[in-house]
Amino acid sequence: MARHVGKQKKEAVRTVGRKMTDTLMECTDLWKIYGKIIAVKDVSLKIREGEIKLVFGPSGSGKSTFLRCLAMLTTPTKGEVFLKGECLTRPGIDLNKARARIGFVFQHIWPFRHLTALGNVELGLRRVLKLSKKEAGEVAMQALREVKMEKWAHHYPGQLSGGQQQRVGIARALAMKPDIILLDEPTSALDPELTGEVIDTLRDLAKKGTTMLIVSHEMPFAREVAEEMIFFDEGTIIETGPPEQFFTNPKSERAKKFMARLIKRTKRE
Amino acid sequence: MDFLIKYLPLIFDGFITTVEVTIFGVLMGLALGILLAIADLYGGRIISTIIRIYVEFFRGSPLLIQLFIFYFAIPDLLHMRIEAFTVGLLIFSLNSAAYQKGYIKGAMEAVFEDQMTAGLSIGLSKAQAIVYVILPQALRLVIPAWSNEFCSLTKSTAALLVTGERELTAAGRQIAGLTFRILETWIFIAIIYLIWVSIMMKIVDIVYEKVKIPGIEISA
Repeated sequence: MARHVGKQKKEAVRTVGRKMTDTLMECTDLWKIYGKIIAVKDVSLKIREGEIKLVFGPSGSGKSTFLRCLAMLTTPTKGEVFLKGECLTRPGIDLNKARARIGFVFQHIWPFRHLTALGNVELGLRRVLKLSKKEAGEVAMQALREVKMEKWAHHYPGQLSGGQQQRVGIARALAMKPDIILLDEPTSALDPELTGEVIDTLRDLAKKGTTMLIVSHEMPFAREVAEEMIFFDEGTIIETGPPEQFFTNPKSERAKKFMARLIKRTKRE
Repeated sequence: MDFLIKYLPLIFDGFITTVEVTIFGVLMGLALGILLAIADLYGGRIISTIIRIYVEFFRGSPLLIQLFIFYFAIPDLLHMRIEAFTVGLLIFSLNSAAYQKGYIKGAMEAVFEDQMTAGLSIGLSKAQAIVYVILPQALRLVIPAWSNEFCSLTKSTAALLVTGERELTAAGRQIAGLTFRILETWIFIAIIYLIWVSIMMKIVDIVYEKVKIPGIEISA
C-alpha cells in the first residue's frame, strides 16, 4: 500500500503522523532560523535503508545544524522529519524515544568523560533500552569489538587518543541498534593518522549495510562508500549526485570551485 | 594544662555539637545546593530570581544577624520556641546551600552543553542526562570546594554561642570563666578546632583522590 498512496492522500496520512513510504528517513522543507540568521533553508532529503549519503560544503554552511535537526537535537523552525514513516516533528511525540533510534556521532567527539569506554556504550542500553546490567555489558562489548576497541573497554576517555574516543563514540551510537547513524564530521578534529582508523571503522560499517548520513570532507572515502553526495552551501542543498559527478564534472559553479579546492588539499596531504 | 582534664567531658560535648552542626550543614547544604542549582538552570526566570534573593541574603548578611532573625525574631513573631540546636542545623544548612549552589551550578555549566547534547543523542531524557551524565561530573569538580566549606562552616558555628547552645566555643567560655586560665583554655579550644578542620580537609582530599577520573580535573 505504501507506494500507492497518492499525493492528495499523503497530506491526510501525514496529519495522523505516519506516512507510508519505502524511505527510511526523510525531511521535507526543513528550515532552521535563529533570530535573523537562516541556518538551514528549505532542505528536503530522502535516505533509503542501507544507503550512505555524504554531505559536504564550506564550514558555516549549516551542515551541522541540518544534521541536528534531523536527529531532533534541535527543533526545526519549519518542515518535517520522518523516520520509517513516523513524523518526528509532530507535537506530542516522545522525542527521547525518537532520538534513541537515531545514532549521532559528534565532530568534537563528546564522550561521557566520567565513564569508561564500556560505560559510555552501556549507559543508553541500560537507561534507555532498559537492558539488565549483564545484557547491556554483552551488547556494549560487542559494539566495542565492532570498532576494535574491546581492549580499551575499561579505559576512561581521558586515557584514550582522539581517534579511540571517536571509535567509542561510534560504538555508543551503534550499540543502540539505531535505524540510521548521522555523523557530523567525525574525523575533522583528528590528525591524519587517527582519521585513518576512524575511516576504517566507518568502512566496516558501510560493508555491513549500515544506513548513514555523513558530513565529511574525506574525498577518497566518499568516492568509495557514498551512493550519493550532497553539496551544501548557505544552508541549503546546491547539488546532489553520485560521487563521480562531483569528481569529474560538478554541475554548479559553486560545487566546481569547492571540489577543486578540496581535491587540491587532498593531494597535498 | 592539667586543669582542663576535669573539663574534658564539657569540651567533648561542645565539640560533638560543633561536629554535628558542621557535618549536617555541609551535607544538607550539598543536597539543597544540587536542587537549587538544577532549579536555577531549568526553573525559568521567576524561580531564578527567588533563588538569587535567597542566595544573596545568606551570603550577604552576617551570620549573627541570621541567627538573631531565626532564633529570636521569627519564633517571637510566631509565639513559639525553637531549640537553638535546631536553628543551628537550619541556618548552617541554608547558609552552606547558598554557597554550594554557586559551586555546583558553575560546575554543571562547565560540563553542560556538550555532555547534555551527547546524552540526549542516545535517547536519555533531560532529567536522566542530569542524573547520569552532568551531576557525576559536576560533583567531582565541586569536591575540592568542600574543604573550604567545612573549614568556614566549622568556624562559623562559634556564632551559635549567642543562642546559648553548648558548642565548642561556649564550652571554652564557660571553662575560662570558671578557671580564669583564659590563655590556656582558648589556645586549647583553638587547637581542637584546628585539628578537626585539618582532619576534615584530609578526608575531603582522600575522597577527591578516590573518585577522581582521568580527564575530569580542575584545571589550575
